Order: sequence, then C-alpha cells, then structure tokens
Amino acid sequence: MGERMFIEGNVAIGWGAAKADCQAFFGYPITPQNEITEWFAREFPKMGRIFVQSQSELGSINILYGAAAAGVRAMTSTSSPGWSLMQETVSDMANAELPCVIVHVQRAGPGGGPIRHAQQDYLQCTRGGGHGDYRNIVLAPASSQECCDLVQLAFYLADKYRNPVIVMSDAIIGRLRETVEVKKIEFGPVPDKEWAARGKGRHKDGKRRVVDHCADLFGRDPNYRTFLQRLDQKVGQMQESELQYESYKTDDAELILVAYGYTARVSKEAVNMARAEGIRAGLIRPIAIWPFPYKVIGDKARQGCKFLVVEDCLGQMVEDVRFAVEGCADVHLVSILDRHIPTDGGMILPDKVFDKIRQIK
Amino acid sequence: MGKETKKVTRERVAGRQKLLVPQIAGFVYCPGCHEPLAARAIADVLEELGTGDRTLGVFGIGCSSFLLGILDIDVVLGPHGRPPDMATGLKRVYPDNIVFTVQGDGDLMSIGADPLLGALTRAEKITIIMLNNAVYGTTGGQMAPTSLVGQITTTTPGGRDIAHFGFPAHAAEMIATFKGVAYSARGAFNTPYNYERTKGYIKIAFQKQMDSVGLSFVEILCACPANWRMSPTDSLKWIEEKMILEFPLGEFKNVDRIE
Amino acid sequence: MVKAEVVIDEEQCQGCGYCVKFCPRGCVVITGDKFTPQGYLLPTFIKPDECNTCGFCAMLCPRAAIEVYISASSEVPA
Repeated sequence: MGERMFIEGNVAIGWGAAKADCQAFFGYPITPQNEITEWFAREFPKMGRIFVQSQSELGSINILYGAAAAGVRAMTSTSSPGWSLMQETVSDMANAELPCVIVHVQRAGPGGGPIRHAQQDYLQCTRGGGHGDYRNIVLAPASSQECCDLVQLAFYLADKYRNPVIVMSDAIIGRLRETVEVKKIEFGPVPDKEWAARGKGRHKDGKRRVVDHCADLFGRDPNYRTFLQRLDQKVGQMQESELQYESYKTDDAELILVAYGYTARVSKEAVNMARAEGIRAGLIRPIAIWPFPYKVIGDKARQGCKFLVVEDCLGQMVEDVRFAVEGCADVHLVSILDRHIPTDGGMILPDKVFDKIRQIK
Repeated sequence: MGKETKKVTRERVAGRQKLLVPQIAGFVYCPGCHEPLAARAIADVLEELGTGDRTLGVFGIGCSSFLLGILDIDVVLGPHGRPPDMATGLKRVYPDNIVFTVQGDGDLMSIGADPLLGALTRAEKITIIMLNNAVYGTTGGQMAPTSLVGQITTTTPGGRDIAHFGFPAHAAEMIATFKGVAYSARGAFNTPYNYERTKGYIKIAFQKQMDSVGLSFVEILCACPANWRMSPTDSLKWIEEKMILEFPLGEFKNVDRIE
Repeated sequence: MVKAEVVIDEEQCQGCGYCVKFCPRGCVVITGDKFTPQGYLLPTFIKPDECNTCGFCAMLCPRAAIEVYISASSEVPA
C-alpha cells in the first residue's frame, strides 16, 4: 500500500521517478512543466540525488547524455518548444543506445503558440523526432496516477532496450490534481550496464569503454549495415512486446473512439453518454502511442466497426488509425477546431464528441 | 685474475606514452597535425598524476573526435559543441573522476557557446581543453571564430573581413573573466619549450579539478598544415609569426580558492 | 661506452619533418630517397655519434613514431 497524495500530474512525475531510483534530473524552465523542475529542485537534494538547472533545453538533454553515458538512471522534462531543441541529441542517444527518460508536457503550437494544452506533437514524437531511422517508446498518461506509474515503466523500458523513452502528457494532465497512490512498481531485472563510461578502474576487466553516437565509425559495429540491422531488430522487438492500450466497452461496439491523454477521458464520458442513448460506442485508448495498436484497430475494422478519432490537433493520430484500418472502415475526426471556444483555453468537451457520435450514427 | 664481463643496459629515454592505445589506427590525421600530439601531452600528464583509471575524456565533433581512438581511458563522444554539458553530467554522477573535454575552436566558441556559458556560470569542476587551429579542419578549412583578420579560408576566399565577419575570439581571456574559473591558460606546440610549458598548463588544470577549486581551461594553438595549405614546418612558422601575435601565450587566471 | 639510438617506426611516420626541425644537432634528416610504405618521406637517423638523447624528436612526433634509447656497456669485474 503506497502513500496517498492529492497531487497534479507534474508532481506525480517526480514521485514516480524517485520510486524508480532515478538518480539525476536536469531541466530548464518552460511552461507548463515548471512544477516538475521545481519538484526535483526541492526533493532531490533531500534524497542525496542530483539536480541541475541547465542553461537551455540543449543543456538539459546533453547533460542527460553525459549522465546516461555514465550508466545511471537520469531524466529531463520539457514542453514542446524545448522538445524541438532536443532532437539532435535524442537521435544521437538512439545511435549510442543509451537509456534515458524524457518527459514531454505538450503545449500548443506551432512556434511559441499558447502556453496551454494541445496534442500537436503526436507525429513528431512517435516518429523518433530527430533525424535518422530510429523510434522511441512513447507512453501517454491520462491521469496523475498514470504519470506516477508510467514514468517508472519508462525507466524500466529504457534500461531494457537501451533507448530513450518519452513520457508524453499535456498541460491539462500535468496541472490536474487527483488522488495518487505513490508506490514502487517492480518490473523485473534489467541488463547490467557494463558498457557505461565510469572510469577504467571501475570496470571488472580493466579495459576502457567508448560511448559514441557513430556506431560504424568507432568500431561498435563492423559496418553501417550491421548497425542498421541491429536497430531494425530493436524497433521490431519494441513493436512486438511493448503494446499497451485500454479497451473500454469495445466488445459489442459498432463505433470505436480512439483517443489518448486528456481527450481519452473526454471520449470515455462521451461513450457513456452514447451508451445511455443506446448507441453502441466504445473506446480504444493507446497507453503507449508508440508502438501503436494497429492490429486491434485493424481487427475491429474488419469486423465492421466505424472509428472516431478524438485528438486536440488538426489531425495526426488519425493518420495512424487510417493506416490501421487499411481502407476497410470509415474514420472520422474530432479535432482542435471543434474546441468549445476559439481562444487558447478551449478544450474538446464530451458534448461535442457526443454530437459527432450521433452524427456518425 | 677474474674474467671480465660486459654489462649492457638499454634504456628507453623517450617515446610513446603508456596511456595510448597500442597502435594509432589508420591515418585519420594529416601529416604534422597537432591533434594527436595533444593526446600525447594529456597521456603524459595523466601518467604523471597517476589518474588514468579514473579519468574520462569527452570529445567534440571535428578532428578532436578521433582522439576517441587514441587515449586508453574511458571516452565519450559528444555532439558538436556539447562536451561541456556532457562533462557536467559525467562529473556530477561520479565527482571523484577527472572529467575533461577536448574540443576544436569551432566546437567550443561557435556552436558550443551555450554549453560553455552554462558550464562557466555554474562553475562546473571540469577541465576544458580547446585545440585552436583557426579553421574548421574536418570539413575542409572554413572560417572559424578564431580565424585571423585577413586569413584566407574556404568561406573567406578574399580573407576574413572585419565589416562582414568581425574579429577572432579569444577564449582563454574571456573564460578567465568568469568567477567560477580557477585556471585559464594558452599554450602551443610549435617548439619543444612551448610543448613542455603547455604540458605544465594541462597538469595544473587537472590539479585544479582534483583539488575541486573550479573550472579549468587550456587553449592550445595547433598546427593544421592541410587546411592552412602549408608544409608542417611552415605551419609552425605561421603559429610563431602570426597566431601568437593574436593569441598571446601564458596564464590568464590561476587561483587556489574561489569564494 | 654510451650509444644513442633513435628508432623511427615507418608504419606510423607521416614525413611531417618535426623531428628534423627540432633535433638541435641535425642528427635526423630527410634524405629524400627513403619512403614509408604509405609513400611519406621517411627521415633517417644519420648521426648516432652526435646524438645526446635529448628526446625532442620523440617528444614532438605527432604520431608517437619515434623511440629513443640509450645503451651503455661497461666492463664489470667478475
């Protein structure tokens, strides 16, 4: 039985990271995730762990690169503009095969944009984000509790695959206060980090270690192709083993909503409203948005279901759903243009989604 | 009368350092390039200090990257300009290690300005070594922040012109102005005397880190014969007659305590 | 009796000429007719009797291609 707290998603990230034995956090101020940086600034020194406020998001991600190269569990957090800045180094860490966790609290864009919520970074995050052929596992919490739990899973998956893992929430999930049971989750053993650069004297074999992000150039792989083959294999394994989604009332559903993060909670409410009127609606909520649950959506499409994607952007995850149905089903969209008010505080609300459900029916 | 025997001893007086990998692989460096000489100087200092087992090197992008294959210590490659950040991460995690960076002048003073300033203002206890050859070497000789006024490079074919491209940047002097810096010096490898003096600077820089005084910095003027379009011995002359005039050698800051 | 030896590794040498320049006594020269397997001009240690094993040649070789030895032989009574 863990400790019960009434905390916002951003703060839950901190408690979850502490439970996962994260040793170091590096961050830079950016709305709407300052509560995360400030939590680590307050709590980590008390726990004897490392907190550094960097000079920029470039600083955060590169200091993280150093700490990850030293073989400790370390993380950073940022929001959309900062996430854009970090991409070169995330690509480098994917090549270097370093584990790390990056929390991304989405805000609206493009550009500086409003500092409030949106879900406009889906495609960028789920396609690696930076240059080159790689993928990161992306976990999308839809509650404060999931913030606490998924960040722990993120550290486990990062160590398991030696790859960055992204925990992507948004300004609503980040700032929403809910009851959270903060407890440590055990996921099983992770491989030993004997590849880490800790000083030659710390290695059992006394030989030096090289950590680099040009796999074929410094001998980690005999040539470029073997490196790509290894990466391809890793991506395939992640796709096979790390699917995570929630199915809500989908067994007999004729219309399936697909949503993640805050819009998933809105959609669940809309599904309940629909069911009350006898409409057989359901919800598939990807918890890992990469790897994406193509198969379960494809199966439902072949069974004759229709789909309604609910996302707070102009249409990004809808592309994955269209891809999944392989032309066998209608795919509709409730987008950011359907928010309840035109200013930046607008949200997609259940009654709008319910209207669309009725329309499709 | 006893038989007389000959006793022959053969002693090595000078040669390759122990902390170099058995063979410098390939010919990634141009004839006369001072980059591997910097590695030798660092190896010498680490052997004298006896700290090879707890030293980490972080290398920038450029010709300095290839030092990854030369020094027999734990090494990490950084993205362009980022070694001071990575050194921060490595040092904070294992503070008893000596963490140093080796970067080119473009890596540190151009794209690396953000990490450099971060490390300076946070007074990170790392050692930054900048190899100054006044051009971007690996990419074929483009203008660098430290290129001299009038210097011909591939992006200043008419010579660096003040009106368009300003003046060469002085890293050692600038870094010396930061309070958290314990040591800032500039050396060169163009003569045996300068080589020994520069090695001394590197040793002091590492000692400042071992004593946890503050950030230490050594800039080294390095020959780049290929990109200067000169013979190696002419490059040494260019360092002596042109570079040292612009970038004087010596120590710009040396303190034992910072409060 | 003391003998100086300067051994230049022709696999590593790139013919930069620093050893030639920094030898205070001109003991190492590029004769122009010796080459390394890669085709660089290989210097020759031509004045072993003048060499005082100062080590400058070895110290300033960027490729660590030079080793300097000092051999001493002496009569030892039995």
